[in-house]
Amino acid sequence: MSARGGPMEKAFWGAGSLIVVVYALLPVGWIVSLSLKPEADLGDGRLIPAHVTLAHYRAIFHDAHFPAALRNSLGIASLSTLLAVTLAAFAAYAIVRLRFPGRRLILAAALSVAMFPPIAIIGPLFNLWRLTGLYNTWAGLMLPYMTFTLPLAIWTLSAFFRDIPWELDKAARVDGATPFQAFYRVIAPLAAPGIFASAVLVFIFAWNDFLFALSLTSTDRARTVPAAIAFFTGASQFQLPTGSIAAASVVVTVPIVVLVLIFQGRIVAGLTAGAVKG
Amino acid sequence: MTEIVLDRVGKRFPDGTVAVRHVELTIQDGEFFILVGPSGCGKSTLLQMIVGLEAPTSGEIRMDGKRVNEVDPKDRNMAMVFQSYALYPHMSVRENLAFPLSVAGVNRTEIRSRVRRAAAVLELEDLLDRRPASLSGGQRQRVAMGRALVREPAAFLLDEPLSNLDARLRVQMRAEIARLQKRLGTTTVYVTHDQAEAMTLGDRAAVLRNGMVQQVGTPRELYETPANLFVAGFIGSPGMNFLPARVDGETLVLPMMKVPLPKVLRDSVAGHGRALIAGIRPEHLREAATSNAKHAAAAFRTRVELIEWLGAETYVHFVIDDEEAAARLRDLSELLEVQPGARGAVPMVTRVGPASEAKEDGEIELTLEPDHVHLFDPVSGKRLTPESAAFASTPSMPR
Repeated sequence: MSARGGPMEKAFWGAGSLIVVVYALLPVGWIVSLSLKPEADLGDGRLIPAHVTLAHYRAIFHDAHFPAALRNSLGIASLSTLLAVTLAAFAAYAIVRLRFPGRRLILAAALSVAMFPPIAIIGPLFNLWRLTGLYNTWAGLMLPYMTFTLPLAIWTLSAFFRDIPWELDKAARVDGATPFQAFYRVIAPLAAPGIFASAVLVFIFAWNDFLFALSLTSTDRARTVPAAIAFFTGASQFQLPTGSIAAASVVVTVPIVVLVLIFQGRIVAGLTAGAVKG
Repeated sequence: MTEIVLDRVGKRFPDGTVAVRHVELTIQDGEFFILVGPSGCGKSTLLQMIVGLEAPTSGEIRMDGKRVNEVDPKDRNMAMVFQSYALYPHMSVRENLAFPLSVAGVNRTEIRSRVRRAAAVLELEDLLDRRPASLSGGQRQRVAMGRALVREPAAFLLDEPLSNLDARLRVQMRAEIARLQKRLGTTTVYVTHDQAEAMTLGDRAAVLRNGMVQQVGTPRELYETPANLFVAGFIGSPGMNFLPARVDGETLVLPMMKVPLPKVLRDSVAGHGRALIAGIRPEHLREAATSNAKHAAAAFRTRVELIEWLGAETYVHFVIDDEEAAARLRDLSELLEVQPGARGAVPMVTRVGPASEAKEDGEIELTLEPDHVHLFDPVSGKRLTPESAAFASTPSMPR
């Protein structure tokens, strides 16, 4: 692709990019706008609010449920990410480096798990969780999140591990490292872009999930933000809590944006350049 | 103090490929030992078994008399330099050098002084804070060497360490490695496919082919008394010339000439049938104008096909037009692992002095010293000439 062509070409790519960005950001802009409007202006149909107020933000943080939901969301998403990426890293490393029967089977099985529609298992899971006491607990949500994100993480990471020259593990082993030392001192740092990429994906999945959060929780003990927003009520039974929902949506978007901004710098290719001749 | 013994070592991969079979070697303490052979001969697998990255499927590897088959690579205290160098790209040169020490739990002051010492030996002081990506090939190679020697290991294992360098740097590093090894006196096993490296570096070398040791000896032994056709063809550059030969009473009949068969050769070929393969090193075909008069009888004229002038010496290529000889050699090309020449002609090469007046398309008269003819069995490829014959008069051996 040569974007350095003539002015026509530049204009073409510029306009194309602009359309995509506007298309993607317009709804976000609308939500931000709604969250800043006073209650009375919510229906005025203007993108730029006439009066700006932080009342909705104040309201949701004074609400008893929202801060608890935010805590649950942060905790559950972070823990799921940590566990899923750690497990996936070990699994992917084993799949790439070791010869054992059923290697391909594991990859294929992992893929089929990812293809399973979550809605198909939600009913049985609900009953199972009530029986086992996992209903309405952090672990009760982390388990399905890890299940559905592990396959993706394993696939991503095994692609990264496959690209790391095997001679580096061997060199580390000959240099006196145990297999685990070779993994965490040499291989994992080199696969860092892959690890960050899959961590972001797992986190986003867990953070955004609505289905499991709605079905497998019942109180503030484990309910996450997406489910909590659905339970927002207005000041009276005749009022829609539009402003609060908008404010909560903005708050819940912020961590994801921050996360991606932090890690996009780390997700750089070419980190392995110079390991071997090339 | 490390003596490495390979006792009937074999390696069969799970897919059924046999990479190494029945290798018996003793690498003495302090020795610079070369494993040499064409690609796919099992030399790298053998090295990986010595260092512990691959487990032998049969036989025993002993270090100083102790079986190490089951010992983890990290506990063998051997250092290895990989063909790709395998530097850790996310670490600086200093961290690369320190890695083996830090995983071994050496304290920081000790690490610092040993890294400094290794860096000084290999002239890496100015590069310590650079990343491998910003180093040149030669510098990376030196870092890999440095990482091997900071540990003061029991043995150095080098897997084609020079093959990624350009020709000039290769010769320079070759000398540097040889000097370093002499100075440290550490047992060293060096894998290469380059016979020139094998000849120049090693105290002794093992020539491998298809996972089997063909011959073990000093470079001189390999050059002067190759055990079989393969070793004869593999060692030496340009390679040995091969010709079908026939023994007729007291003469050896070659396609282009007849030469009297020396007594030693006569005895050793007795009972081996009459058809043989003769091997002649390029330097033993001499230009008649410059050679001794006493061999003048065994001379022949031929047309020069190609001249390679190298300054100090000149290679003269010519062919022997002989359908039958060419056909017989063609049958052997697999045994020799050489490309057969054009149909109906046997390619030959000779090494003459810089003063030679040979011209392309011109004629040249060459003499052959029968004492230096190697004779091989055409079926087994084994050498028939006794060792004393080749040593009867030792020419200055080109290295």
